[in-house]
Amino acid sequence: MSLKTGGRGRSGLARLGPLPWIAPAVVLILFVVLWPVYEMVHTSFLRISTSGFVRGSAGFDKYTKLFDEPDFYQVLGWTVVWTTAVVALTMVLSLALAQLFNQNFPGRRLTRWALIAPWAASVLMTSIGFKWMLDRTAGVLNTVMVDLGLIDAPKDWLGDPSTAKPWMVLIAVFVSLPFTTYTLLAGLQTVPAEVYEAAKVDGTSTWQTYRLITLPLLRPALLVGLVINLINVFNSFPVIWGTTQGGPDSATATTTVFAFQLMNTDIGESAAMSVVNFGLIVVMVLAFLKVSRWNEES
Amino acid sequence: MNKKLLNLSALCAVGVLALTACSSSGSGSGDSKDSGKASGPVTLKFVAADYGDSAANSSTAYWGDVVKGFNATNPDIKIDLQVVNWNDIDKQVKTMIQSGNMPDILQTGGYADKVTDKLLYPAADVLSPATQANFIDTFAKAGQVGGTQYGIPFVSSARAFFYNKAIFAQAGITSAPKTWDDLKADAAAIKAKVPGVTPYALPLGPEEAQGESLMWELGNGGGYQDASGKYTLNSQADIDTFSWLKANLVDPGLTYANPATTDRKTAFADFGAGKTAMLNGHPSLIQKAKDGKVDYAATAIPGKTGPLKSTLGVADWMMAFNKNGHKDQIKKFLDYAYNTQNTLKFDELYNLMPVTKDTLATMSGDAKHADLKPFFDLLPTATFYPLGDTSWDNVSAEIKKSGGTAVSGDPAKVLGDLQKRAEAAAADK
Repeated sequence: MSLKTGGRGRSGLARLGPLPWIAPAVVLILFVVLWPVYEMVHTSFLRISTSGFVRGSAGFDKYTKLFDEPDFYQVLGWTVVWTTAVVALTMVLSLALAQLFNQNFPGRRLTRWALIAPWAASVLMTSIGFKWMLDRTAGVLNTVMVDLGLIDAPKDWLGDPSTAKPWMVLIAVFVSLPFTTYTLLAGLQTVPAEVYEAAKVDGTSTWQTYRLITLPLLRPALLVGLVINLINVFNSFPVIWGTTQGGPDSATATTTVFAFQLMNTDIGESAAMSVVNFGLIVVMVLAFLKVSRWNEES
Repeated sequence: MNKKLLNLSALCAVGVLALTACSSSGSGSGDSKDSGKASGPVTLKFVAADYGDSAANSSTAYWGDVVKGFNATNPDIKIDLQVVNWNDIDKQVKTMIQSGNMPDILQTGGYADKVTDKLLYPAADVLSPATQANFIDTFAKAGQVGGTQYGIPFVSSARAFFYNKAIFAQAGITSAPKTWDDLKADAAAIKAKVPGVTPYALPLGPEEAQGESLMWELGNGGGYQDASGKYTLNSQADIDTFSWLKANLVDPGLTYANPATTDRKTAFADFGAGKTAMLNGHPSLIQKAKDGKVDYAATAIPGKTGPLKSTLGVADWMMAFNKNGHKDQIKKFLDYAYNTQNTLKFDELYNLMPVTKDTLATMSGDAKHADLKPFFDLLPTATFYPLGDTSWDNVSAEIKKSGGTAVSGDPAKVLGDLQKRAEAAAADK
C-alpha cells in the first residue's frame, strides 16, 4: 500500500483508510510485544552488575556462559520431558473426560461446573495448596498415606527431585485439564448426530466409530488444545515456582524457571536464557504449524 | 507509511516529555536542598527500615522520639524522616539513587554496593571520634571496604546452638554436645529413643545455606575467604566439613532427608513445635521456643574438636550519602542517635543485639536480658560474611542456590563449581 502525503481535510483522513482503526492495536503490539523483545535481546548483550548498574557491552559472552553452565543441558532435557509428559497426559485424560461429559447422566451439570474449579483458582494458589498438602511435617496427603499404611513414615515428596518431578507433572495436568476438556467437549458437540446414525446403520463397532468418525472430526479442537497447551506448559512458571522453586539447585527447573534463577546472579545471562527460550517456542510453533498443515493436505 | 511513523514518533515524544517532567521535579527538590548547605536551617532526609511487625510497634514512633529529642538542642536541623518496611526499602532506595534524589542518611541491610559507586562518606567524616570508638571492634571492622570504614553498624544478631532439654532428658543425654562427634552420638541416641523427632535440623535451603554452611566450616577452621580476601570455598577444610555432614548426619538420617531444600523457617518452626532437638539459631528463636513452651538451652556451636570460639555475626547498617554535602549536620544527628539511651531503647524494643560497647555492657549487666547471655558472650568475637567485598552479594546468591547440594552430591565437585563462580565474580568487579 502506498500513501501519498499532501491529502487535506476529510479526504486526507479517508486516505488513511483503516489505519486509524488499527493504530491502537499496532501501538499496543509495538509497546507490549516488540519493545520487550527488543529489550530482552539487548539486555542479553550487556554486562550488568548485581545492583543493576550497566557496565558496558558483553558481546556473546553471556551466551557462552549460559551454554557452559553445568546445569544447562540437564535443564533443557527436563523441559522436553516435562512438556511432553504434561501435554500428553492432559490430552489423553481430557479426551476421556470430554467423552464422559458429552454423555447424558444425572448430575452432569454439577460435575461440569466442578471441573471448572482448578481453572478458576489461581495456578500459583493451587501449587502452594499442593505444596502444603505434601509437606513433610504438616501435610494432609502424608498423614492420609501414613494412616492408610501406604508409606511407613511421612516423606519429603517435593525435596527430592525423583519424587518432586512426578508430583509437579500431576499438578500441571490437574490445572490444564479444565481448559482442554472444555475445548474438546465443544468439539464433540459440533459432531452431527446424523453421522453417528449412519455409522450405526453401517454396523461399525464403538471403537471404530471413535477412531474413524469422532477423532477426525475433533481434529480442529484437538489442534487448538494441543498448541495452546504446548506453549502454556513449556512456559509454565507458577507450578514449578510454587512447589520447588526449581530446586534443589536447578534439578527441577525448566528453561523458564532457570532464567528466573539466573536473575539473582547475572541479569545478562538470564536475558540470554530468555532469548534462547523465546527461540525454542518460535521453532516449536513453526514446526507444529508445518506438521498440522501437512495433515490438512493429506 | 511516513504519516504512521510521524504519528508514532509524536506519541513517543509526548511520552518522553511527560517522563522527563516527572523526573526533573524530583531532582529539582534535591537541588534546593543543596543551596541551604552553608547556613540557615538544613533538612536531612533520613530513610530507615521498619523493624516492627504491626502499626503498634512500628519504628516510626521510635525515630519520631529521637528526632524530637534531637531538635530540642538542634532546632536548625530538620529531619525529614521516612520509615519504609523491609520488603520495599531496597527498591525504594534504588529508585532514589537512580533519580539522584538520594537520602542523607540511610539505615538498612547492606552498604558495600553503594561504596563501589562512591556514594558514601567514610564513617570517620560523619561520626565524632568518641562515637566511632564506641563500636564493638568486630562490627566496626565488618563495615570496612578496602581498609576504610563506610558501613556504620546499627543493630546485630549472632548465632548460637539451641537444644531441647526435654528431648535430651528423654534420650538420656546429660550435657550439651561440644564436638561434632558428641553431636553425632547425641543425634543417634535421640533417633533411637525419641521417634518422630528430627535429631539435628540442617537447613541448607536457599534461605540459610550461606549461614549454616559457614557455621559448620568455622568449626573445622575453614571459611569463605582467606586472610588476604581470596575466596576459598573449596578449601580442603571446607570439603571435609561437607563430607563429614554427608557421611555422619545426612546419610544415617539424623537430619532432614533433603537439607538442600529445607529452609530455616521450617527448622525454626519445628524447634518451636518440639519436633527437632538441636539446631543453630539466632535470638528470635528464643521467643519461638517460649511461645511453644519448649524447654531449651542455648550454648556455643560445637566444632570438630571443641566449641566455636567465634560465631557467625550479622548486622544491619547505617550509612551517610555525600551527594548533598551535609557532613556536619549528619555528624550531629548520628552522634545523638547513637547515645546509650537511644540504642538501648531500640535494642530492647525489638529484642535485638547491640553494636556499641556501652550498650552491650548495660544489657549484659541487666538480669532481665539473661536469656540473651549466650549471645552477648559471642558478640565481641563474631565472624562475618565478607561484607566489605563487593562481589559477596553475587557469591552469596550462588551459595544459596547450590551450596546445599554439597551434602547430597559430591562435596568436592559442588564446592569446586562454587569456587569457580566466586572467582569469576571477584574478577568481574
